[in-house]
Amino acid sequence: MINRIEEVWAYRGMLVSIVKRDLRSRYKGSFLGFLWTFVNPLLQLVVYSIVFPYILKVTQENYAMFLFIALLPWIFFTSSLQGATTSIVAGSNLVKKIYFPRIILPLAAVSTNLMNYIYGLSIVFAALLITGVHLTVNVLWLPVVLLIEFIFIFGLALIFSSLYVKYRDLEHIVNVLTFVWFYLTPIVFPITIFPEQIGEMVGYNPMVPIIESFRDILLNGTPPDWNRLLYSLIIGVIVLIVGVLLFEKCEKTFAEEL
Amino acid sequence: MKDQTVISIKNVTKTFKIYRDKPVSLKEKVLKLRSNEYSTFYALKNLSLDIRRGETIGLIGHNGCGKSTLLKLITKILYPDQGTITVNGKISSLIELGAGFHPDFTGRENIYINASIFGLSKKEVDQRIDEIIRFSELGKFIENPVRTYSSGMYMKLAFSVAINVNPEILLIDEILSVGDANFQKKCLEKIESFKRNGATIVIVAHDLGTIEKICDRVVWMNEGQIVRQGEADQIINLYIQHMNKQFVEQRQQEYLEISSSGVGEKEEVEVTEANESSDTSTVDEPTFSEDVRWGSKEVEITEARILNAEGKVTNVLMAGEPFCIEIDYKLNREQKAYIFGTGIYTADKVLVYGNNTQIANLKIDRINKRGTVRFKVKKCNLLSGTYKLNVAVVDGDHRALDFIKYYMDFTVVSNDKAVGLFTIEHEWEIG
Repeated sequence: MINRIEEVWAYRGMLVSIVKRDLRSRYKGSFLGFLWTFVNPLLQLVVYSIVFPYILKVTQENYAMFLFIALLPWIFFTSSLQGATTSIVAGSNLVKKIYFPRIILPLAAVSTNLMNYIYGLSIVFAALLITGVHLTVNVLWLPVVLLIEFIFIFGLALIFSSLYVKYRDLEHIVNVLTFVWFYLTPIVFPITIFPEQIGEMVGYNPMVPIIESFRDILLNGTPPDWNRLLYSLIIGVIVLIVGVLLFEKCEKTFAEEL
Repeated sequence: MKDQTVISIKNVTKTFKIYRDKPVSLKEKVLKLRSNEYSTFYALKNLSLDIRRGETIGLIGHNGCGKSTLLKLITKILYPDQGTITVNGKISSLIELGAGFHPDFTGRENIYINASIFGLSKKEVDQRIDEIIRFSELGKFIENPVRTYSSGMYMKLAFSVAINVNPEILLIDEILSVGDANFQKKCLEKIESFKRNGATIVIVAHDLGTIEKICDRVVWMNEGQIVRQGEADQIINLYIQHMNKQFVEQRQQEYLEISSSGVGEKEEVEVTEANESSDTSTVDEPTFSEDVRWGSKEVEITEARILNAEGKVTNVLMAGEPFCIEIDYKLNREQKAYIFGTGIYTADKVLVYGNNTQIANLKIDRINKRGTVRFKVKKCNLLSGTYKLNVAVVDGDHRALDFIKYYMDFTVVSNDKAVGLFTIEHEWEIG
């Protein structure tokens, strides 16, 4: 295990250059270039903040920020999963011809989206200032919450990416899964919208404490609910362990299956 | 230190499952929409090989013999089903060129991406980048996006990155044919310099000349097993002989298949031209245009053929073995004398050898109604190449009765690596 980590560390240069390449190539040659990184979440923000307060009459205070703070980590979640699921197959010409720790590919997919989230944070902070939200010292917990989310995402990414090599319809399953998951997570609405019993069930969703923690530290200015966040961390670590074991088992035959 | 084994391959077996109809989705797997039937292909069978530090090993064998699979197992792209492979040292592989190249990025940017996939850190690339660019001969093009490169430039850049690593163990698969002759020479020099620095090199190539030049030891593989291994020139000679023999056998087989299926075709032709050729009872008479066949047809050549050492009809001969040219004739009108002749031309129609019964002082004034003339050769001295056969019969005054130039093409395969048309038995003496 230690060897594996050392090996991935030795290949960090590859990780960095793949992430850089993907970030830059996504918008290379387009008119707005790198600005597209911001346009997509901004557009979603605009649509949701019109639809929910004005059409669906949601009465949440500062709804735009309420939504935006939760939406960005959610985009990080879904686009990481979608990107990572196909990462091994997309990199098949590398996998078939060159040795490198295969885990780099899903790791790079998740890291690329992490970077996108971090760029998006600049809009969050600007918007928070504009809407007059007071930032507190609790903002400093942000890296911790982000790390916990990263662990959970990376675990799922490993499971999906290794299974996708064999089962190519998994991509659609992942899309449906994230679509349903979106409505089981309080992103466009507060968790209080659910009836009590269902709300309790929804509470087992490990993304709930993560999303709420982002709101706590950025919008409410309070520390995260550590107990509930610990639950997400434990689930995340379990998923990660399962993911690593599964990935290790599958990666030996990647070059043959592709 | 010198004799230390760096790559140790012990009893390695690798199989591939070849599915007839493989389920590729969860849906199909669950619903069992496709059968899971597969056949097993043995790429490597219980193969053992030790490679010592500083050795340069060449792997040869025909396609599908397991060479590339072996390389992929050594780099850990594939894993063996049975047996173990231990490697002491850092492996660099030149199996894939231009891995991770992105067309929109400049050559320089792609060097960093590509090198990082080979496991180099940014600092290491920084140290080498000037040398890589110099080696690639791209000059100022290095700042242009890779999509603007010609394929030659692309390969040069890719190769320059790959070869400017500092390998302990270098695996090379079929990629030495990159770029122009000068660039290839540079690459070979680079490999020579790795050798001098004590790197261990395993190389797969079809270019036997290169292998013979740079390898200390050659391993000849067939069907996932080692046939022979040893000194480069010795093994390569054996391999060439084996391949030549196999080529001749294969061509012979093809020839027989074509000529047997060809009969059917010709029969059809004969039906359509029935009124013209109704007097000939044989089916096999080939048709020739007037510029390659002329003569009064008072004696007609109905068929000619080449027989190999086993007496089988063929169009491919192994040099050094006996063969025979047979000419079937039919007498339509008696002549005072007859001269039968045959000749061999090169593919570009230069006469190699010609002979006839008059040159051999044979006086023929009577022949049967039908018969066969045989030109028997004890030993085929031609070198490898394609040749043309001509056959002819003329009368005593050399008036053509039936003269067929370029009756058929045939191939000679020779183990003699000399150039020219003929093998001359000889030995060298250096005084």
